[in-house]
Amino acid sequence: MIEINGVTKRYQTLVAIDDVSLKIIPGEVIGILGPNGAGKTTLFRLITGSLNPDSGRIQSIGQSWPTIGYKPERLLFPSDMRVRKYLSMMASLSNLRGKEAERAVQQGLANVDLLDAADKKIKQCSKGMRQRLALAQALIGKPSLLLLDEPSNGLDPEGQSDICRLIKQLQRRGITIVLASHQLAEVTQVCTHLLILNKGSIHYESSMQDALAERPHTSIEVDRELFSLTPLLESLHPEIEIKPESREIVLNHEAIALRPQVLSMLLSAGYDIIQIQQSYVTLAEIYAEAVN
Amino acid sequence: MLFALAFYLIFFDPRQQTPDTDYYILVLGLFGSIFAFLVTLSVAARANRAVHFPFLVRLPSRIEYLTSVMLASMAFTLGVQIVMGILAILANGPKFTVGQLAVIPPIWLAGMTLFIVLALHASDLVASGWSRVYVFGVLAILLYIQSGLGILAEGIAGLTDRLGNALLTQGWTTVANPLFSLGDWIVGAGSDLIQQFTGFIFWPFTSIASASVAGFFSVAQSFAPALLLIYATILFVLAADLFAAKDLYLTE
Repeated sequence: MIEINGVTKRYQTLVAIDDVSLKIIPGEVIGILGPNGAGKTTLFRLITGSLNPDSGRIQSIGQSWPTIGYKPERLLFPSDMRVRKYLSMMASLSNLRGKEAERAVQQGLANVDLLDAADKKIKQCSKGMRQRLALAQALIGKPSLLLLDEPSNGLDPEGQSDICRLIKQLQRRGITIVLASHQLAEVTQVCTHLLILNKGSIHYESSMQDALAERPHTSIEVDRELFSLTPLLESLHPEIEIKPESREIVLNHEAIALRPQVLSMLLSAGYDIIQIQQSYVTLAEIYAEAVN
Repeated sequence: MLFALAFYLIFFDPRQQTPDTDYYILVLGLFGSIFAFLVTLSVAARANRAVHFPFLVRLPSRIEYLTSVMLASMAFTLGVQIVMGILAILANGPKFTVGQLAVIPPIWLAGMTLFIVLALHASDLVASGWSRVYVFGVLAILLYIQSGLGILAEGIAGLTDRLGNALLTQGWTTVANPLFSLGDWIVGAGSDLIQQFTGFIFWPFTSIASASVAGFFSVAQSFAPALLLIYATILFVLAADLFAAKDLYLTE
């Protein structure tokens, strides 16, 4: 769909985006994580064409430039306008007329659960409603690429899960989505691809599936502290980890294969097994490592 | 709107008879141009707000956005100008023949369009880097040359003469003589050349004014509004280029 090739963008001396390359493949939901000032919004503005790269290229792959729906991070609206009117205007800018425009507006309102607020002035809407309105306007005109800058910021938990549901629906309809967020749970839930930006450059990039399958480990919890058994267990494999005065043994990576051996050692030493858990690295850990 | 009202009351006081058709055409035409400039600055400032960012993203080309700013300014100015024109006719206004009425639209529209495009260059929406300084700097230089070239030329010629005399006293005749010649050229042929050039640039304005006063347009003068539109087109293309290539930092 879109290929970003070695793009750099500076604001005077500050390098906002530093030699970023990325392919946006149709149907993907790309989650962009990064601390404030990492360059997420700048990257969006480069894709929308409101900023020009200082070097590098942003080009469409194969087809014409996709129609873009953009939900900016800042919720700025013509505040005296009514919700329905605002969406109608967006529909007309997307070349929708008459019944078709009305249908698109109604669908947009329904998508974000704003039907009851359709005739309210925007200035009378709560922050959550404005967030939904911003999302609704981005969806008008059936864009093929949706850029969502912190879509669930300011929403209550129910609103956040509604947004997640909506994003999943949109993905099923084949809409490509690029989503910048600070909500790790949201990104884990909806994204198929993960990108971590820090100080303008990509520090981590992977499919979500691969990212969350990284570094598998098994933790075994026993009924009492391990004490004397600790050196014996640790001598089995360097990837076996036992915290001091702990009741938990963690088998990392290759050490997972030693699970039967460890279990039999524990049982023969008279320990009761409370819990065995197979887990993987969390997104929070990936993020923390990439950013720090 | 206050500006429009004040302008109307000062120049078309309903208690007095509006003197003549040329006064009506030129004064209201001037009003339209100045008002268009102010309106465009205001519309462009509104268009430069981040509120409109989602609109901009939807447009296939930024030029559409710029054109809409231009057309909005033109429509609003034209509306006010027409209202004022009708009021000025109804309240002791001059009597027009059809021929006189026919010359009004090209004159008003050409001036208005040019000033709208100039205002676009003055606005934050379009200006990029030093572009504003370049556009209005060139305009200021042309206006200065047009109005005060004689004084400027004599000043420069005086300078070259003094420098020539100083060099002559040192015996440097080979350098002094060309300086004297340069001084003569500046006040003579050089001034004429530059004045012809600036005269050509400002010819549409002077032509429209003199034709309106005379009450008829010669064949050459009838092209003056078209030339103004050509200026406006060139400046609009420049504005469109600047706007299309600039980084948009809309104000929040």
